[in-house]
Amino acid sequence: MLSGSKNSFDIPQRPGGPALRGPKSSEVKDKRNRNCLAFTCIPGEHVLEEAAHVKRIVRSRDGEESMVGTLFCTNLRVVFVPQPAPRDAVGAPGCSACLHVVALPCIERLVAVNSFTKAKVLTASSTLKFIPEELILYCRDFRVLRFRFHDSGWEPRAFQVTQAIVQAQEGGGGSVAMWYGSATLRNRENTWLSKEESALPPMLLFEETSDWEKELRRLGAVGWRVSPANERFDMATSLPKYLWVPSRLLDNELKRAFAHFNARRIPRMCWHHPGGSDLLRAAGFHADSDPEKEDVRSVEALLFAGHTQCVIVEMADDLPSPAEIQLSALKLRALCLPDSSVADEKWLSALEGTHWLDHVRACVRKASEVAALLAERSCSVVLQESEDRDLNCLLASLVQILSDSHARTQSGFQSLLQKEWVVAGHPFQQRLNLFRDSDREESPVFLLFLDCTWQLLQQFPASFEFTETYLVALHDSSYVPFFSTFLFNCQWERDRRNQHRASNQLYALVNGWWEPPPLEILSKGGCLVKKGGGPCLPHIWDWALCYTTQQRAQFRNPAYARHCSSTVVPNGSSAPLGGDKPDPALSGSGSVYLLAKGSLLLQTHLFPWENGSLSRKPWRRTQSSESLGEQERSLRCKPSSCPLQPEGLLRPAFVGPLIQFWRRCYLRGSQEVQHGLLASTRAEIAEELDLLRQRLAADPE
Amino acid sequence: MERAVGPGLEVGGGGGALRRSVRPPGPGGAAAGSRQPSVETLDSPTGSHVEWCKQLIAATISSQISGSVPSESISRDYKVYKRPDVREVQDGHNGYHSEGEADQALRGGNKLAQMEEAPLFPGESVKVIAKDVMYICPFMGAVSGTLTVTDFKMYFKNVERDPHFVLDVPLGVISRVEKIGVQSHGDNSCGIEIVCKDMRNVRFAYKQEEQSRLEIFENLVTQAFPLSNGLPLFAFSYKEKFPVNGWKVYDPMAEYKRQGLPNESWKISKINSTYELCDTYPAVLVVPTSVKDEDLSKVAAFRAKGRIPVLSWIHPESQATITRCSQPLVGPNDKRCKEDEKYLQTIMDANAQSHKLIIFDARQNSAAVTNKEKVGGYESESAYPNAELIFLEIHNIHVIRESLRKLKEIVYPAIDEARWLSNVDSTHWLEYIRMLLAGAVRIADRIESGKTSVVVHCSDGWDRTAQLTSLAMLMLDSYYRTIKGFEVLIEKEWISFGHRFAMRVGHGDGDHADADRSPIFLQFLDCVWQMTKQFPAAFEFNELFLITILDHLYSCLFGTFLNNCEQERLKEIPIHQNLKELLAIKAELQRKVEELQREAATRSISSSSDRGSSPSHSATPVRTSV
Repeated sequence: MLSGSKNSFDIPQRPGGPALRGPKSSEVKDKRNRNCLAFTCIPGEHVLEEAAHVKRIVRSRDGEESMVGTLFCTNLRVVFVPQPAPRDAVGAPGCSACLHVVALPCIERLVAVNSFTKAKVLTASSTLKFIPEELILYCRDFRVLRFRFHDSGWEPRAFQVTQAIVQAQEGGGGSVAMWYGSATLRNRENTWLSKEESALPPMLLFEETSDWEKELRRLGAVGWRVSPANERFDMATSLPKYLWVPSRLLDNELKRAFAHFNARRIPRMCWHHPGGSDLLRAAGFHADSDPEKEDVRSVEALLFAGHTQCVIVEMADDLPSPAEIQLSALKLRALCLPDSSVADEKWLSALEGTHWLDHVRACVRKASEVAALLAERSCSVVLQESEDRDLNCLLASLVQILSDSHARTQSGFQSLLQKEWVVAGHPFQQRLNLFRDSDREESPVFLLFLDCTWQLLQQFPASFEFTETYLVALHDSSYVPFFSTFLFNCQWERDRRNQHRASNQLYALVNGWWEPPPLEILSKGGCLVKKGGGPCLPHIWDWALCYTTQQRAQFRNPAYARHCSSTVVPNGSSAPLGGDKPDPALSGSGSVYLLAKGSLLLQTHLFPWENGSLSRKPWRRTQSSESLGEQERSLRCKPSSCPLQPEGLLRPAFVGPLIQFWRRCYLRGSQEVQHGLLASTRAEIAEELDLLRQRLAADPE
Repeated sequence: MERAVGPGLEVGGGGGALRRSVRPPGPGGAAAGSRQPSVETLDSPTGSHVEWCKQLIAATISSQISGSVPSESISRDYKVYKRPDVREVQDGHNGYHSEGEADQALRGGNKLAQMEEAPLFPGESVKVIAKDVMYICPFMGAVSGTLTVTDFKMYFKNVERDPHFVLDVPLGVISRVEKIGVQSHGDNSCGIEIVCKDMRNVRFAYKQEEQSRLEIFENLVTQAFPLSNGLPLFAFSYKEKFPVNGWKVYDPMAEYKRQGLPNESWKISKINSTYELCDTYPAVLVVPTSVKDEDLSKVAAFRAKGRIPVLSWIHPESQATITRCSQPLVGPNDKRCKEDEKYLQTIMDANAQSHKLIIFDARQNSAAVTNKEKVGGYESESAYPNAELIFLEIHNIHVIRESLRKLKEIVYPAIDEARWLSNVDSTHWLEYIRMLLAGAVRIADRIESGKTSVVVHCSDGWDRTAQLTSLAMLMLDSYYRTIKGFEVLIEKEWISFGHRFAMRVGHGDGDHADADRSPIFLQFLDCVWQMTKQFPAAFEFNELFLITILDHLYSCLFGTFLNNCEQERLKEIPIHQNLKELLAIKAELQRKVEELQREAATRSISSSSDRGSSPSHSATPVRTSV
């Protein structure tokens, strides 16, 4: 069935409207485009309108500069092709890094400017009543693109292209389905473009059970197993197919636990410390579930995971909610616009007023506390968030970045994102709100996470394999719906869509303007599709699809000092503290602490259920109040015992001045600020060093 | 070209000055020699200050790392901090050492005291030694040890800790010393607080009854403020021999020759060789060829303090010039001076590219008007028809001093992280930095893009004028962005042209509230730091170099920054050693160390522990060989 797709592909079904022009005209245009300009339509894409002699205004350090080119509006993107085209724009049609291309859903706001009228925000419902002299695109990834139209004789074009962009953006931002439909073929096209190196990097996608097994082996987590309990998403739709659970817990025991957590998201392991501790994540307890005794035992077994101590880290305590993050982000976005009305001398106060940096600080601090906890004692640390889909993703990954040097390599980081965000069911579609489904659910939790990672990168520049450029590229990619990675709310949706696609291939049509790609590509593309009917839409991790070799070279941090081993116990001889030694008498039940405001509090009531309070046995003698005080103190004291471990644990600082503002990302709308911030300088230094080293080697004296 | 827009200024890590404040005075210039001042070594922290200390350490490390190139001192810091004694952490109770430990110190007796002796510079002599003094560290609580006061520094050492705890503060950095009451810390019932010019405060506590301890306070006050007590500054007794005579780093003739002077329009004049024309100017001046000496005298009479317009820099191609001077003495009656008018016309004519002359008055317009009501003033359009007068609206020294005072308040001893950014805003420090940079950009832009000559002045032409001309020159001329060139720039625009270092810093003077003090030079270095952040590859030196200069601005170890002007320096007994040569050596070493460091960083750092102590042996000047 699938092989039939070799010569077939489909056109997005567009129900009339001004966006759809006759195939004939688009064919003509498309051909001309290919011949004359370095702009190649991606399959499924057609040009709606274009205007030549458009100036893109670039504010640079020497005042205002502009480049002349042609502005295209297609059904998927707004593309500006400068003349002559810069070399790196050639042959990278899907290029999101290219500063001249904006995917339609990425456009936040369109403003038309005319010297006779006020600047006007354009929407599909508002008709454009004047001929714009300038068109400003405010993008959701903090970019701002300004286009100025040539004034003699080109006015109608200016009017038309502006109108087209407005219509396309409003109607054509479309839905997941539309992007999905048009993207299938792009996969092949892109494969063709990057045929030398289209293979995925050596990373784990956590879609197959083998990836979970492999990672479990790397962590050396004995006592844990991969459970396929959710393989058909029948236990919890938002959870991944496979879960890491304690080995001794059988699947039927495990299944007793699901009902007692919100959205059935049970505690499961995310990371295992070589010293013995385990990091788990879970949703909040389902208050009305009324568990049986057996169920409580399962829940306890999951939470304690074989340890005598269990520390619950409640996300709601010290961390911002998604709604607060969104509020902050909106203020931050307004502040970072180039035409922000905030005076220079009040800028820092305004930045403080957004509370964005406070949120970053809170996350870094919490992650640092949890990482310290994991390194110091043998216990299970359970990150608990009501829905387990936002800050749990953020914190679980941040803790691993701090604790595990593998997560600081590019492949390790990508695996981490797959594990804790993508398959773990961070609702990307809702949070990014690319298709304007609901503004209420929008919240850039992922951006907050990238910012936290950037802070660590600033503080430990030699500990990361990747660079700031890489993080910005990740951020950009989250606003480009060419990839399945950030397009869905959970793995179940992603998988379902893929199956749907596969059957849809039958209805694919043949269109005149499509040039069949060379045979080898077809077979390769066909191969991709065939492979178990797997995902048709690419992952973003194949960076060659969108980024040129030069651009990708900037992902690599030249200052990175690779640690030879990632399994070293970060705390050196971190034997568990005296009271923590696994005491057989205590196994099965132990003490539960709550981590809040940097200290541990002993809990007596863990569960909201009546019959579910922890079984407190009289022989629980170890925890006198005195020794509790001892432990509270040791939690606070311990971090100082190893201020910085060259490998393993990172201990970030989070005092006021050290949580910094990510200029490179947030201020990209005002280019004059972008000065001296490019990673290329570092890369250049590295190159020079290589050269010097060669010369030194050649001439020992 | 520099663009001074709001967010472009470094905010996250704080300005240069802020950055400095969050780092404990680390081994600032360790590369320069084994006995560099201001070495404070933190060892394993204890107790309740742990959190704070941890942050501080991280702050230290990260603030130093976050520069574009890692510096040697980082790895030194690592070494110090990497060896924590875990036991001690667990034993410590609340951050304060028990009395048992003090007993132990007593029992240690003489041997201990010997170990806690201060190393001395040649020519340095010990004034008083006091045992069992408590140093109250804001970050790690009290540390007991021996305090030595010499005629150069105060030196506090505790050898019980591993690594030894050392606090080494040059007395020159002290702004004031005060007795404070200390709440019954056992026996330590009396204390002193030492407020430093480099944004630190140091506190000691000691037993009141003992005689030797009373001497600490008196000796500190006497030695820290020698000039108030009829004593010479330590730089005059410093006996160290250096292989290079640092006074020769800057040779005005060579520098002007480098600029292509003299030429047909500009001559090198010896008119001020006896400092009679202007006592605060250098002996060698560059003035227009056609102007006669007697006219110069008339111009001098019309300019405040006789500081006539003289050339600072000339563009090698367009011949546009930066000239500097003081305000004209116009006064309320609109006095004019024909010679001065003609003089400025000549300056304009010397540049054939433009028929205009821009006069940048650094002051606020209102301040200039106020000055005019007395004796000063500004160039009127009617008297100088071809000149355009622009006010840069930069605040005076008092405003800057006040701003830094506020800045210190928000960073020391604790930072309110929730209100950090608005607090920084409220000090206006960065705003003033921005205005300075913006002014310098305008000057540089007129020269480079407008090909127009500019005249820069403020009131006396030794504070804001020096800041603006040197910053503009730094932007225009890459030579000044080298280590040697930067030294020349400071020597030329600041020292030889009479920035009143002695008065603005208040070397050896006890009057801490003196209204003439102001961190003008610090502000300049902060601007330079901002530029290094924006153009990381344009400068040969780094942050550490700037901080080292600052350390010695206060230390009084060298003669470089001791005087108000060239004449004053020459009148005094020549100070035989100075900062520059040390800086030159240090800079060279520093650079080598950096190269190695960078190399090591990419090569994955390992087993390089001995590099810090002897960089001179292991390094080849990598960069220069290219």
